[in-house]
Amino acid sequence: MRLNGNPTHPWVSILLYIGSMFLLFEWIIPLEIVTDTGYVYVFYLFVAYCYLLTAIAMPAWVRSPLKLLGLLVVMDVLFFDARFLSGAWMQQFLGDLRINFEMLSNRSWMEFTAPFRTFLFLILLWMLSYLLYYWFAIVKRPLSFIVFTFVYLTVLDTFTEYSAVWSIIRTFAIGVGVLGISHLFKLAEAEKLKIQSFRILMKWLTPLLIVIIVGTSIGYAAPKFSPQWPDPVPFLQGTAEQGFSGVGFQNKVQRIGYGENDEQLGGGFIADDTTVFYASAESSQYWKVETKDQYTGKGWKRTVEGEFATGFPGEKLALEAYPTTVTREPGQSSIQLVEPGNLNKLPYRYGTASFRNLQVEYNPVTGEVKSPDDLPAEPYNLHVEQPKFPLKQMQAVSPTMPTVPEPYLQLPETLPDRVYELTEEIIAGKENRYDQVKAVEQYFSRNGYIYETKDVPVPDEDQDFVDQFLFETQRGYCDHYSTSMVAMLRSAGIPARWVKGFTGGEMTQQTDLTNGGDLTTYEVQNNNAHSWVEVFFPDVGWVPFEPTVGFSNQTDFMSEESPEDLEEMNEPTEQEEQELPEPELDEGPEAQQPEEESDAVNVESTSNVSGYTLVKWGIIIALVASLIWLLTRYRLRLMSYWKKNKLQNNYDQKSFTDAYQFLVKLLEKEGYAVESGQTLREFSKKVDRLIGNTDMSELTNYYERAVYREENLESDREEINRLWSQIVRNLLAK
Amino acid sequence: MERSIMTQHSKIEELLTNMEKVIVGKRDTIELTVVALLAGGHVLLEDVPGVGKTMLVRALAKSLDLNFKRIQFTPDLLPSDVTGASVYNQKEMTFEFLPGPIFGNIVLADEINRTSPKTQSALLESMEERNITVDGQTMALKQPFFVMATQNPIEYEGTYSLPEAQLDRFLIKLRLGYPTEQEEIDMLGRTTSVHPVDQIQAVMTQEEVIELQQQVQQVHVSNSIKEYIVKLVHQTREHPMLELGASPRASIALMRASKSYAFIQGRDYVVPDDVKWLLHDVLSHRLLVSSEARFEGRTVVSILEEITNKTRIPMERG
Repeated sequence: MRLNGNPTHPWVSILLYIGSMFLLFEWIIPLEIVTDTGYVYVFYLFVAYCYLLTAIAMPAWVRSPLKLLGLLVVMDVLFFDARFLSGAWMQQFLGDLRINFEMLSNRSWMEFTAPFRTFLFLILLWMLSYLLYYWFAIVKRPLSFIVFTFVYLTVLDTFTEYSAVWSIIRTFAIGVGVLGISHLFKLAEAEKLKIQSFRILMKWLTPLLIVIIVGTSIGYAAPKFSPQWPDPVPFLQGTAEQGFSGVGFQNKVQRIGYGENDEQLGGGFIADDTTVFYASAESSQYWKVETKDQYTGKGWKRTVEGEFATGFPGEKLALEAYPTTVTREPGQSSIQLVEPGNLNKLPYRYGTASFRNLQVEYNPVTGEVKSPDDLPAEPYNLHVEQPKFPLKQMQAVSPTMPTVPEPYLQLPETLPDRVYELTEEIIAGKENRYDQVKAVEQYFSRNGYIYETKDVPVPDEDQDFVDQFLFETQRGYCDHYSTSMVAMLRSAGIPARWVKGFTGGEMTQQTDLTNGGDLTTYEVQNNNAHSWVEVFFPDVGWVPFEPTVGFSNQTDFMSEESPEDLEEMNEPTEQEEQELPEPELDEGPEAQQPEEESDAVNVESTSNVSGYTLVKWGIIIALVASLIWLLTRYRLRLMSYWKKNKLQNNYDQKSFTDAYQFLVKLLEKEGYAVESGQTLREFSKKVDRLIGNTDMSELTNYYERAVYREENLESDREEINRLWSQIVRNLLAK
Repeated sequence: MERSIMTQHSKIEELLTNMEKVIVGKRDTIELTVVALLAGGHVLLEDVPGVGKTMLVRALAKSLDLNFKRIQFTPDLLPSDVTGASVYNQKEMTFEFLPGPIFGNIVLADEINRTSPKTQSALLESMEERNITVDGQTMALKQPFFVMATQNPIEYEGTYSLPEAQLDRFLIKLRLGYPTEQEEIDMLGRTTSVHPVDQIQAVMTQEEVIELQQQVQQVHVSNSIKEYIVKLVHQTREHPMLELGASPRASIALMRASKSYAFIQGRDYVVPDDVKWLLHDVLSHRLLVSSEARFEGRTVVSILEEITNKTRIPMERG
C-alpha cells in the first residue's frame, strides 16, 4: 500500500485516510436535498473508488487513467445510452463537451448541460480525494478540513431545508477521532516511537473511542439552549430587500418602535434604526403622537376617548387650545412618512395650528391626529404657533387646585404607599405647582437613576411598574421615567398625563424637506420612539416635561422676571441632548399579556430575561477570555515578530541584547530556564542538546562577544539575525 | 588581533598535545599549568608521590626549550642553596657569585614543606619579586620565571607547612590525581623502552613564551566580569563556613588566570565560564574552612560550589 510511504505508523495513516473519506461523504449527503441532484450514491461510489486507487501503490500513469475510466463509467451510467466507449458514445460525449466549451467561451455559465456539470463535479471530487489524501495521510493536518465541514453543514442547516442534526453528530465523532489519531502521530513523531502493529494502536484507540462515544452521547442527551438570537434568515432577507428595493418590508420582524398597546410596560429591547419619518423644523423638536390617561399599575390604557373633529387643509385646529396668555412664535414643519401604515397616526409638534395640505381627523382630548383616507405618502406641512409657556403664571398656581376632571388624577388602588411618601418628600417645601413638578422631573437625574434598555425586568404580577422602577431597579428607559413621574404627580394631586411620540431625530441630508427655507431636516427612526409627561396648568394648558435622564426638555418657558430664575428653572436643558434610542417594546409585553397567566409562567418569563442576560454575559466573558487567551497564547509570537523587525532594521547593541534576553525568556517558557549560577555558555549547550543543533551556542558566542568583549558586531548582524530567527522559529513551532 | 590569536592558539594547542604525550589523561591539569605559566604565576602541586608531578614539570620545560632547575627541599637546606652564594676565587682574588638553582626558567621546588621556613621564604619572596638580593647585590631572575612547588599532603611529620600568607603567592594549586585504569595500562606500555619525556621535542622558544605572556596581558576583561570576580571573592569573606576568605590579591589572581585561560581557549576576552572554571583552582589554597564546617563535612569545594551557584552571572553589558 502506498500509505506505507510512512512505514513507521502505517495504521495511523490508514485510519486518517478513511476518516477523511467519511468527512467528504458528509459534503455529498446534503446535495440530494439542497440541489436537484439525483443518483447521489454514484458519487459515493466514485469517491470510494478514487480513495481506493490513491491508497494502492501503483505508478501515476496507471492510476490516473484508471480514475478517468471510473469517471467515464459514471457518466455512462448516468447519461448515455450508447454502448460504453463505442463510437456513438464517444460522439455523444465529445459533442456535449464541445457545446459546453462554447458556452464557456461565451461565459454562459448557467447554461451548461447536466452531463457537463456532472463531469465537472466528478473532476472536483477526484481533486478533493487527492487533496484530502495529502492533508490527512501525508501531512496529517486534518483540523482545517474538519472546521470547513462544520461551517459547510451549519450554513446549509441555517439557510436551506437540510437538517444537519445527525450530520453534525457524525462529523463530530469522525472529527474527534481523526484529531485524536493525528495527535497520536505527532506524539509518536516527537518521541520517535514506532506504532507498527494495530494492537499497540488499539491502546490509544480504545480510550479515544470511549471519549467519542461518551462525549457524543452526553452532547446529544444534554439539554441545549434554544437559539440565542433570532433566526438570521428573515433578518438577512429584510436587510436585503430594504437594501434592494425598500418594498416588502412589512414582513420584517419589528422588534421595537412605536406601538399601540402599552398595557404592560417593562422588559428590555433591541435597537432598531429603521426610519419612521423625515421631518423638517427650525430646530430639533419632540414629535407628539398621542396621550393616555389611565395608569393600571402595569401600563397605560385610555378611558377618555374624546371625539374626533375634522380639520380641513389650512383650517386652524383646536388641538391644544392654549389660551391667549401663552405667547406664540410662528414656525413651520414638513413631515414625510417613510412607510405609511407603519404608524397609523400623524406625528406633529407642539403648537401645531393647522395642517396646510391635508385634511385630518383630530382629537383634542387624546391628542391623536388621523388621516381620514390612507395615510399620506407625500410630505404634509404644518403651520406652527410654537407656545412659550409663561413661567410666572405657572408658578402662581398653588399646589392644591385640582381643576381638571378625574381621569388625570387617577391612580390604581394597588399603588404602594411608599410612592406617595416619596413624592411628598420630594415636593416638600416647594410652594407652587411648577416648582413641585420641576422637583419631581429632576429627582431621577439627581439620584443616580440609570438609563438602561437591555437588562430591564418586567414587573411580577403582584408588583407595580412604578414601584419596581422607583425602589428596586432604579434603571430603565423613557417609559419608566415618564410613567413614574405621572404617577408621582398624581399622587400629589397634580393632574398629569402620559405622552407618546418621538424625539427629534438625527440631522440628515438624505431627504430634503426644507423647501428652500432655513429649516433642518431630521431623520426619525424607531430608535427615537419616546414617551414623556404633560402637566396641566390652569390658564396655560398642558405643558410637556421630560423626566428621562439623558434627555432634555425642549419646551420654551418664558420668564418676565429675573433671568437667573429662568436659568435655574431650565437647568436640565443645559444637558446636551443625547440621542439615545428610545423605543417601546412591543413584543415582550404582549407575549406576557394573557390574563389567565399563572404565577409559574410569570416567574419563568422573568427568569427568561435574566437567563438571556446570563448568556449574554457568558458570551462576553467568553469572548474577553478568549481574547486574553489569544493574546497570551500568541504574545510571544507577536513579540518575536517585533523583536525580529527591530533586530533587522535597527541593529544595535541594545536590540541584540533585547532579542537575546527575549530568547532566554522564550526558552524559559519552553522549560529551559537559566539555572542560578549557570553561564550562558553552559545554558546554550544544554539547549543545543535538547534542540539537536548548535544554533544556540553559535548565537551565544556572538552574544558573549557583544557583552564581554563589548564589540559592536555590526558586520555579523546578518548571521546573528539568521541564528536568532531560526531558534525562535524552532521554538514557536513546537 | 583575531588572526594572531588563532595562530597563537594553535601553538598553545601544540604545546598541550606535546605535554599530553608524557602526562596521560590529565589535559585539565596540563592546561592549568600553562594557564599559570602564561599568566606569569606559579603553581603549587599538592599530591601523593609517584603520580607524575616531576614529570609534568619536566615535560613542560622540555616542550618549551627552557632552562629547568630542580631543588629538592630537605630540612637541612639553606637559603643560599636556593639562591646561590658568593665564593672567593683565589685565582682572580675576587668574590664570584655562583648562581643557585633559582636562576632557572622553570624551577621545580620539590617537597617545599620539608625545609625550614627560612629557606621557604627565600624562595617565596623571589617568586613574587622576580629578583633576588645576595650580599647586597640585587640580581634579576630569568624570564620567564615559573616555579612549580610540590608538597605531599600525607606525611605531616617533620614538615613545616606553608603559612597562608605564603600560599597566597601561588596563582594556582593543583592536584594531579591518579590516572584511570586504562590510562595507567597505556602508561605502562609507553614507559617500557624509552621514557616519553625523552622523546618529546621543544615546540616553543623562550622568546615565544615571553611574547605569549605579553599577549595574555592584553586579553579584554569587561567591567561586568570584574564585578563578577569581585562578587565571588567577597562572598568567600562573608561566608560563615570560612574562617579565612580570599584576599584582594586573590581577585587579581583570579582575573589574571582567567585572562590566561581565555587566551588558551583562543579568545581575547574573558567570559564568566573562565572565571567559574578557575575559581576552585585559584581560590582553594587561600581559604580556610572553619572547624565547625569541617566537622559538618563541608569542604572548600562544596562551599565554592555553593557560592558560584548563588552568584548571578553577568548577562548584560556592564
